[in-house]
Amino acid sequence: MTQFLIRRILVSIVVIWAVATLVFFMLRIVPGDPIGAMLADVDPAAAEALRAKLGLDQPAYVQYFRWMLNTLRGDLGNSIYGNNQPVNQIIAEALPRTLSLSFFAMIIALAISFTAGIVSAMKKGTWLDHIVTFVAILGLSMPNFWLGIMLIIIFAVNLHWLPAIGYSPMSDGFWPWLSHLILPAIAVGAPFAAIIARMIRSAMLEVSREDYIRTARSKGLSARSVIFTHTLRNALIPVITVMGIAFALLMTGAVVVENVFAIKGLGRVMIQSILNRDYPVVQGAILIVSLVFVATNLLVDILYTVVDPRIRY
Amino acid sequence: MSEKADKRIEEQARREYEEAYNFDSSDPLFGLRKEELRGPRMTRRAVMRLLAAAGALAFTDVLAACAPSAPPAQEGEAAPAEAPAAAAGGALVCGWAGTNEIVTLDPAQINQVLQFQIASNVLSGLTHINADLTAEGDLATDWSVSDDGLEWTFTLRQGVTFHNGDPFTADDVLYTFERSSNPELSIHSGVLVNVAGVEKIDDYTVKFVLNKPQASFLVKTLERSSGRAMTIVNKRAIEEDGPERFGLFPIGTGPFKVTENLVGQSLVIEKFEDYYDPERPKLDKITFIPIPEPEPLAAAIEAGDIQLIGGNPPAAELIDRFLANPDLVVSEIPGPGFQSMWFNPHRDPMKVEDFNKPLEELKQESGFLVRLAIAKAVDREDYIKRAAFGRGFPAFGSINPAMAYFFDTEINETSEQTYDPEAAQQLMADAGFPGGEGFPTLKLLITPAGKREGEIIADILKKNLGITIELDIKDFPVLVEMYDAIDFDLLRIGSGGDYDPDDGLVDYFLTTAKFNGPKRDPSLPFGIFSEAEVDALIEEQRSETDLEKRRELVRKANKLTSDKVACLFLNHPVDTVIYRKEVTYPDVSRIAGLVDLDRATITA
Repeated sequence: MTQFLIRRILVSIVVIWAVATLVFFMLRIVPGDPIGAMLADVDPAAAEALRAKLGLDQPAYVQYFRWMLNTLRGDLGNSIYGNNQPVNQIIAEALPRTLSLSFFAMIIALAISFTAGIVSAMKKGTWLDHIVTFVAILGLSMPNFWLGIMLIIIFAVNLHWLPAIGYSPMSDGFWPWLSHLILPAIAVGAPFAAIIARMIRSAMLEVSREDYIRTARSKGLSARSVIFTHTLRNALIPVITVMGIAFALLMTGAVVVENVFAIKGLGRVMIQSILNRDYPVVQGAILIVSLVFVATNLLVDILYTVVDPRIRY
Repeated sequence: MSEKADKRIEEQARREYEEAYNFDSSDPLFGLRKEELRGPRMTRRAVMRLLAAAGALAFTDVLAACAPSAPPAQEGEAAPAEAPAAAAGGALVCGWAGTNEIVTLDPAQINQVLQFQIASNVLSGLTHINADLTAEGDLATDWSVSDDGLEWTFTLRQGVTFHNGDPFTADDVLYTFERSSNPELSIHSGVLVNVAGVEKIDDYTVKFVLNKPQASFLVKTLERSSGRAMTIVNKRAIEEDGPERFGLFPIGTGPFKVTENLVGQSLVIEKFEDYYDPERPKLDKITFIPIPEPEPLAAAIEAGDIQLIGGNPPAAELIDRFLANPDLVVSEIPGPGFQSMWFNPHRDPMKVEDFNKPLEELKQESGFLVRLAIAKAVDREDYIKRAAFGRGFPAFGSINPAMAYFFDTEINETSEQTYDPEAAQQLMADAGFPGGEGFPTLKLLITPAGKREGEIIADILKKNLGITIELDIKDFPVLVEMYDAIDFDLLRIGSGGDYDPDDGLVDYFLTTAKFNGPKRDPSLPFGIFSEAEVDALIEEQRSETDLEKRRELVRKANKLTSDKVACLFLNHPVDTVIYRKEVTYPDVSRIAGLVDLDRATITA
């Protein structure tokens, strides 16, 4: 296991380095000039001076090595845009928002999907199963920005139960934090709830045909014990894989919902910086996202061994 | 308000407006007596005269100043009654429309209206102009001018402190001047080129010496918000915190101080307890949230999460909905700027090699006929109705209704671009494309946000001329690169904040203009447009001191760019502020382009 971990961490470092390098050079191939975007109406001499100040007049490889060195020192550089905020700070501000949203969306997705998945597997073919299937397809088909707007109109504009937009950090109180997250988390989590629910249903149905389930039943175990201890646990492996991917996707895929709810999370940081061609911010944000992806994958692999003791690395 | 009363106000405004422009331009004091130019307060007449002499007085400003209450609501709709002013205190949450972040509040770097709208609540200038067009001393309590109009002496307010506790003195005026006039430190240094120097007489007296008389000096350069160049900043804060932090947490002497700035998420300003006027500000705390999407912006104000919308003009499709909502107040006035579609003159089938030929000769060329046909085929009213939900004014030139004095009210009928679908079809036929037959598909370069407008243009041209336009949607930085390199068939862009005729003409229509193909292939003789007479007229109007003559030059240049189809002019915008009725936003604070909140109150 230790050896496995060491090997995986080493491979992860290579993956992250490769992603960072690829992104660095791709950004410079993509058309669009960061200075042009920023200073559309400022005279060309000022633009050239700024280009030199930011080092953008250097060859790409020089810029690359400079960036790599600074990154290894933990300094992701400064934004080209506006007040040249440090990228570290931009990410440090956005990350807690995205993590809060992703965790909360995940909790909502899991709560819904486990209930729905188990119920529909147990009641296969009944009206309950059909209803759950219908709702799941609905959840999958609804674009999340549309769902977000509908939730705002119902719960904020009409019922006044929850705030329509914005984010409140946990340091300002638990309820403000939670109340600002409920609607966006539902909007982001709904499609994943639908996917995971369908996954649990089919995995449980597959496992329930296994010999050991029949054995468990014939031993006279209670239905609850058969479902939770034997069926569900063995059905979890593919579900954990999907959960891992879902969590990683939530980190970046929430951009549309972040825009709807006026939350500046990592997704919005990335999109905005790509639109502005703000190279250091794009590079920094993608570095962090690839870290999260790699870490989540590693965690998923470890979770496999917990769920299924037969798996050993 | 009755129609009769409206008429009376309009007549009064018209009188005052014309009076403002009626003076001898060779007079260094612009036809005003020395006493009229003195502090601590200048009358509306004096301010209007200075604005007029600076070419910055819009008729709509005068109209708003003459109106006894808030700017009139849209025709046919009754503005909901405002709540009576609430007691001081309370917190206001504002949605800042159409932006992802408030990038900076450092006056030396501010380049967007939505930024100085906030900075004006945090920082001060020597003077400030209210909505009724009277100028008040802000950090100056009094001032006087020499007979030749070159020396301005200001007495500074005593007992004023910066947000960090530093006392405000003449040294701060000198430091601000030094910083703002340095092009490496400030993007507004050009505003100060006419200032030969600033002298400290004593701790609370400063003297500005000008190279030549300048009307805009008092009303623009020294004005606290829109001027930016002489918005007073704190030396210690800039030196100790560095300019980056100063851009986020500017230290000034304004009514509010910035207490939290999470760029892109929220910006909080709180009442500055030591503000020099104990009566202001009324509110304890204001939060600004950038809300880029229109639907959430609307939902947020409808739900009461935000109580005021400032920033960029909110999406036009929302305004009718806001007007129908009894909880909201909508205030609209004409905004300066123009929207347009440009043609690549170096590509067939709209090629024009020489715009200097007389119009009749140009009309013999197929390329010019195509441009004119397209310009004549677009019904501006229809376009505004569909693309801007009826919020805007038809455009036939870059000189807009907000610069009323220079605006040509007849250009919609006299321009060659006047809407006439039959004539447009005939022009297309004359160009060799009857019914659009044989006409190649053109690509319209446009940003993702402009997609809808592009589709409407394409639809109108398909219907009226039978030609096909495809959208070429590019992110803004890519669009700018292609625009600079003149690498497009058609291009959809616009301009905002054009208060002075210069703003509407110089940047776009001079052969040497900064937007006229700065990165084009060197073999191309010019960028998008080049016409010797237009160049000469623009240059001449810049130095013409006689306003009537200047107006003639401006109108002539404007008409020529329109007739020779420098571009297809589409519409002029609207300036809008929206707030919930629990907010009291006094008339004196409704300054065009600004959102001053020091007198605003809110009921719980």
